[in-house]
Amino acid sequence: MKRTLFSLILVLTIVLTACAQAGGTPAPSGGAAEIRFMAWGDPAELEVWKQIVADFEKENPNVKVNVEVSDWDSYWTKLKTLLAANTPPDIFAIDAPLYKDYQSRGVLLNLKPYLDANPGLLDGLYPVTLKAYETPEGYFGLPRDFQTIVVFYNKDMFNAAGIPYPQQGWTYDDLREIARKLTKDTNGDGKVDQYGFYADLWDMELIWGEGIWAHGGDVISADYTKTLIGTPEARKAWQLFHDMIFVDGSWPDANTAAQYGGDPFLAGVAAMTTIGHWAIPGYAEASFKWDVAPMPAGPAGQATSVNSAGFVVAKATKYPQESFNFIKFVLSEKGQTRLAELGFACPVLKSVAESPAFLEQEVKVNHQVFLDSLAFARMKPSFKGYEEWSSVIGDGMSVVWTGEAELDATLDEVVKQADEVLAKNR
Amino acid sequence: MGKRVQTRLLDALTYLILLIGAVGMVTPFLWMVSTSFKLPADQFTKTLIPPTFTLRNFQALFAYGDISFPLLFLNSAVISLLTTIGQLLTCSMAAFCFAVVRFKGRDFLFTLLLLTLLIPFHVTLIPNFVIFSWLGLVGTSVPLWLPAFWGGAFGTFLLRQYFLTIPRDLVDAARVDGATLPQIYWKVYLPLAKPALAALAIFSFQGAWNDLLRPLVYMPAAPNTTLTVGLALFQTQMTRGGNFTVLMAGALISILPLLIVFFFAQRFFIEGIALSGVKR
Amino acid sequence: MEAGLKPLGREKFWLWAMLAPTLFGLFFSAFGSLLATLALSFTRWDLLTPPQWAGFANYIALFKDPKNLTSLLNTVRFTAMYVPGVVIVSLLVAVLMNRGLKGISFFRTAYYLPAVTSAVATALVWQMIYGKDTGILNYLLESLGLQPVCWLCTDMALYSVVIVNIWGAIGEGMIIFLAGLTTIPREYYEAAEMDGAKGLQKFFRITLPLITPSIFFQTLISTINAFQAYDYIYMLTRRGQGDSSVPVVVFSIYRNAWHFSNYGGASAQAIELTLIVAALMGLYLWLEKRFVVYE
Repeated sequence: MKRTLFSLILVLTIVLTACAQAGGTPAPSGGAAEIRFMAWGDPAELEVWKQIVADFEKENPNVKVNVEVSDWDSYWTKLKTLLAANTPPDIFAIDAPLYKDYQSRGVLLNLKPYLDANPGLLDGLYPVTLKAYETPEGYFGLPRDFQTIVVFYNKDMFNAAGIPYPQQGWTYDDLREIARKLTKDTNGDGKVDQYGFYADLWDMELIWGEGIWAHGGDVISADYTKTLIGTPEARKAWQLFHDMIFVDGSWPDANTAAQYGGDPFLAGVAAMTTIGHWAIPGYAEASFKWDVAPMPAGPAGQATSVNSAGFVVAKATKYPQESFNFIKFVLSEKGQTRLAELGFACPVLKSVAESPAFLEQEVKVNHQVFLDSLAFARMKPSFKGYEEWSSVIGDGMSVVWTGEAELDATLDEVVKQADEVLAKNR
Repeated sequence: MGKRVQTRLLDALTYLILLIGAVGMVTPFLWMVSTSFKLPADQFTKTLIPPTFTLRNFQALFAYGDISFPLLFLNSAVISLLTTIGQLLTCSMAAFCFAVVRFKGRDFLFTLLLLTLLIPFHVTLIPNFVIFSWLGLVGTSVPLWLPAFWGGAFGTFLLRQYFLTIPRDLVDAARVDGATLPQIYWKVYLPLAKPALAALAIFSFQGAWNDLLRPLVYMPAAPNTTLTVGLALFQTQMTRGGNFTVLMAGALISILPLLIVFFFAQRFFIEGIALSGVKR
Repeated sequence: MEAGLKPLGREKFWLWAMLAPTLFGLFFSAFGSLLATLALSFTRWDLLTPPQWAGFANYIALFKDPKNLTSLLNTVRFTAMYVPGVVIVSLLVAVLMNRGLKGISFFRTAYYLPAVTSAVATALVWQMIYGKDTGILNYLLESLGLQPVCWLCTDMALYSVVIVNIWGAIGEGMIIFLAGLTTIPREYYEAAEMDGAKGLQKFFRITLPLITPSIFFQTLISTINAFQAYDYIYMLTRRGQGDSSVPVVVFSIYRNAWHFSNYGGASAQAIELTLIVAALMGLYLWLEKRFVVYE
């Protein structure tokens, strides 16, 4: 009896949801298609998207694109609410690691027919950036820009210590040694107030993925069924991070970093950090001089992570062709140039990435490093359940980085939990 | 004589305690004000006076043509005002019935109403969204203020508590004069409940003004949205460059209207105190 | 409470007319979403694909999950400190402000400031205040010759977070109590003074009993707020991939619903939370009958 009642309510919810779809998006008026495009970003990005839309609408007078930009945290809540109510935006931005999650749940449009009709469209894009979006059935999304991780260093601190800047070919041993030399108590109060290095250890993207790869390990098996961060090779990387924090003291622990807004490099207390191109506009405001260098090499060579922000089209869209055309436009030289000028990310279109639009942008640092890093970059994994998997690892390891738990045992436990998440999402 | 000295001492002690407390209450706020006038490079300096005084954080807020602050302010103000009116009206009517009138099922209904306070917001977002979406109201500001016109447990509860303390003799006197229920509500209870109504007005206005998630899902993007949503955009900037100064400037701007509302509503507290309080 | 005005004849219509908006909201909106939440708590739903019937699976998973117990315990400990803190401090502040001294409107505004300021901005400021090496609080401790404290480390975090939450809620409590205090007739105090009552005696004999309706209200609302608090907690104790070193139930609901594609589980947690607070509320309502003095 109770069960019938609940089923009834459930059915009602679903019916309401279905109705919502019917009433949600405005019907086409006067033949013009109205597309809703949603992305995360800040006000500067909103402005650039509006310009791109204006350019696009000039070339496609029958299409109107409404852009909605939200902050990162809110974006996902808004997106999921709209998807749950069956009123998704026609096009929306996606973070590559989350792409497979959405794709595997069947809410995205397969772009294959449209790509087949546009042969050669993807030729000018960096191939490694496309990998995250490949599925056996075709592409359900495309990258719009990419991020490689590089080392940012505080030139003033290096100059003051008379240490040469990091160069291509340096190693993790060099990194540790330099970091140790740059760790100082500058005012003599017995406390360290300049650290050699800081990197965020929550997400694999900033340091631990790179470290594991460079030491010959991997983060996850190719079929996404086994978490590999506990292998002997991977443990070498973890041990290195652990020792830099707790033995050398050249890397502030998580509680220390928090008091600098989570970014000791920007706060001017850490000499080096690893982060992507997105940090550049913010770092441009720093009170010191800085530049970028490629990631160091480990025993297994050099490695960095490549990730991308991409687009997908909702399966429920009424305007698949128009939506695709908009994506195509953003991937064109014109669209990519606009995005490059924003300065947050690297263009996926080779010809624009290698042009002055990207290399000679407002903030004058060695932007070429980000492109060269692609040569040894590995894709941040993308699979169903990625977010929970990544959280289990980041959350689980966090007690190590605050100094509350021991490394090896925690790692064993985290691998176990992470594998459970993978099994659940099989 | 001795009593006057004692009163003076008590007064001095009151000021002292309030002052110490006020320092604790205001310091974080002053820090926020100070940071909003600092350069990003100085944001972690420990001085309350900015090493270099700058207006650039405020200029940065206004630098983007697509975020029209006057319009965002207007949207927020309209939604908050409508919410406040709706809450004052419907909550006071219901609270009057629950506090003053005797009818069958009163306590049961009131307990049910209180229960609605318990449902965490995050799980009701989707069911509500589906309903408004079904009604075709998504994309407008209607879903943001309309619910204020179908009452609310918080406001009803607040006013009921206050109404219950109003002397019953007043009702009896009004009854003898032949006043009906709506007349007693309007002429006896509302005028006497000004301090409580002021409190509810402040809370309703503030709640609507600070709401982020609902305007985010219901209204389209800037500039057709509220101030909180517009300002939240600057948070993305913060998470990838660690620059808090603009965020602080935005937070400062957004609370000014609330402070004005608060100043305005304060008068009713003073009035209330003058009516029946302990003024010597 | 049997007392109350009896509606006469046509006034019945007015009674229900005045209650109509609230009843509509209650049955249409509030219970609609409560029922939807209840229904969804028996499903597996990732928000993207249609919900699937799951029976009691979400509830069983909830009982088996040690993290759920941790977050419940945190919520309860938080509530146990937060509620008395808010009620006592804001009552004290309101009583002091109600003494009718000059310049009190300045203080009123000062004490209300934290309540209006956005949590994101003030959490950042608190992070700097609580900083381990660079924070003002430890700077003060050290200049007094005391040992610095790691305020946001795991052992201390709960207490630090309670302080910030109380700090943010005093303004609201103060307003409630100020409004409540205005209902106490001045003559009561005059009469008590004639009998020779001193300051504290006046407070315990007159103010406290007569302000019980406001205390009851503030206690109940603070309890509900405590069970739903998470913004300051999250921002100050954030660690890992969006985890918190002081996970509370609402925080876990938020993550399950929006990040882990487990809306059914989140709904079950919401129901669990609702039942617990409902039980507490039952207790409060029982206490109300015994201790709250209405006119």
